[in-house]
Amino acid sequence: MVGQGAERLSLERPARRLANEARGGSLLMASTLLAPATLMVALGLLLPILILLRYSFNKFDPRLMMVEAVTLENYVKFFTDPFYTNVFWTTLRVALLCTLVCLVLAFPLAYVLARSESRYKNVVLMLVVLPLFVGNAVRAAGWMTLFGSKGALNAALFELGVINVPLQIMFTEKAVVIGIIAVNLPYVVLTLQSVLEGIPRQTEEAAFSLGAGPWTMCRRVLLPLALPGIVVGAILCFILAMNAYATPVLLGGPQFKMMGPLVYGQFRLNNWPFGAAVAFVLMTATLVLTGAANLLVQQRYRRRRSP
Amino acid sequence: MAAIRSVSRRQVLKGAAAITSAGLAELPLGGAAQSKGKIVVGTWGGDYARLLHKNIEPILINDGWEVIQDQANDPERRSKMLAERRLPRGTTDIQGLSALGMFQMHDAGVIDAIDYGKLKNAPNLLPSMKYPYGVGHIYSGKVGVYNPRLVDPAPKSYKEIFDPKRGDKLGIIDIQYQYTLVCAALAAGGKVDDLEPGKKLLLACKKAGARIYPTNEAFAQGLKTEEFGTGVMWKARVVQWQNAGISVEAIVPAEGALAYVSGFVIPKNAPDKPGSYAYLDAMLEKGAQEAFAIDMGYNPTVTNAVVAPELNKRIGFTPEEVKALVDLDYGYMTQNDVALKEWWDKELKG
Repeated sequence: MVGQGAERLSLERPARRLANEARGGSLLMASTLLAPATLMVALGLLLPILILLRYSFNKFDPRLMMVEAVTLENYVKFFTDPFYTNVFWTTLRVALLCTLVCLVLAFPLAYVLARSESRYKNVVLMLVVLPLFVGNAVRAAGWMTLFGSKGALNAALFELGVINVPLQIMFTEKAVVIGIIAVNLPYVVLTLQSVLEGIPRQTEEAAFSLGAGPWTMCRRVLLPLALPGIVVGAILCFILAMNAYATPVLLGGPQFKMMGPLVYGQFRLNNWPFGAAVAFVLMTATLVLTGAANLLVQQRYRRRRSP
Repeated sequence: MAAIRSVSRRQVLKGAAAITSAGLAELPLGGAAQSKGKIVVGTWGGDYARLLHKNIEPILINDGWEVIQDQANDPERRSKMLAERRLPRGTTDIQGLSALGMFQMHDAGVIDAIDYGKLKNAPNLLPSMKYPYGVGHIYSGKVGVYNPRLVDPAPKSYKEIFDPKRGDKLGIIDIQYQYTLVCAALAAGGKVDDLEPGKKLLLACKKAGARIYPTNEAFAQGLKTEEFGTGVMWKARVVQWQNAGISVEAIVPAEGALAYVSGFVIPKNAPDKPGSYAYLDAMLEKGAQEAFAIDMGYNPTVTNAVVAPELNKRIGFTPEEVKALVDLDYGYMTQNDVALKEWWDKELKG
């Protein structure tokens, strides 16, 4: 018995060693493959972010541009001046509104696309993606010709006798919200569509066969199953909206202010320390809010799944 | 494993050989040795860069120089010059900046004093364009603009333009905040180093309904669609708008037009200073200056350039008007730029 055991052990050993070596090899292989991306992120993203963080503690001098210092005055200036805090709240309001509207508009379209078995499905998908082929600034220019006081929309309404004074849409928050929704919608539709496609049709049919109406099925089955995808779509949309630049500048006009243009404006004035501080406020707020939303939904999702 | 190691070693050797041979190929041998050198020009992009390429660079290329443009906006390039100040060799030989930008770089101590003795074309240069630290390339003035279909009689001064009585028929350009503030100050009886009266006047105009447009192009669009009827702008731009079919006329204000000068400076650490001077000389050539007047609507800064009378009427200024041109107070603007922009954003637009 003992001899047999020893024989088995001696046979197992080389096999395990081989397996271990293979695992070590694949680990080495994996880290080699990951290295370029990691290096790119470290050098191209983290390092500049750290440099920017350092800049945000410097002092601004109109003649020397930036003076080395360790001061919180840039952050204090941002949080104590109602002008800047208003810019922040406007950005947050616009981003949340755009995210909400995008989800509401995208969900039905994504659902139809996911469940469609038509041979034109790919064509429709291409149509959804098509706006992404055109840059944000060009799309904003398109909206400008539509929204202007003598633009297509006003001209049409005027001719139809609906209005007699042109509607003021350009250079308002309304125009910015419409513009950002148009930019972000394809991203949300695509995200939701891929998640909805992964939910088997049978789960819906099971709900129907157990007597659920369409609304109940949607609320109790489809939405909970699609929740992770909805979160990803919402986060993507929210981040894009928080950091929007071209749309607020072109459609919001000079009197409308969001954080992205504010950051750029400070760098244009060569006030790098304050620009860096504003950039950090924006980045931190975006990260904290998306992180918090993710955590909240994950907890709910887990609670629902646990019996 | 051994096989893999030997392959990688061989590859390393091969790679090293490839790098060495590529490096050798880059060395200036043969034909390249005949080149006088490489001039790196910092410039705005767009039309200005295109016209430098079309009107100035051929002169230098024919003379055996190689010219490379480093295109970016004025603030970005000024930041770059400041960031490079400690380097023994900078990355540009010459930088195109507005007169204010030229002063700011001089004030920061990053540019050379110009040795006018080295410039063949210096005797032709207008005295007002001979800055100790930079050379004026083109100039224009901030004139009053109005649409004759909407505004009658024509305004005669900044004061008549920045008049709260105009209500929403006055247009203001957001990115032109510095010059607009100075024009309004002149209108309100202030000075180039005392803009407070201008601020008050602008607030009154804003309260009366003045429209603020984000860019020059948006202003032109508003002018075209007759959303407003008057404002201030560079005379050169007015010519471009007239050419585009917009109903607009220009007047030289009674207070004297605010001057806009664009010129070139030489960074202290420019790698090829003979190239910098060659560029300055080429830009002052008669033909190049005349071409800029035709293509861009800005006035030549040399006395020997001939501008056709018809064009001169549209872009030029009479000798009296040239004498009356008002310059910014560069020191005041540099010191107060951020504060002025903050006032503009918070008080005027807020």
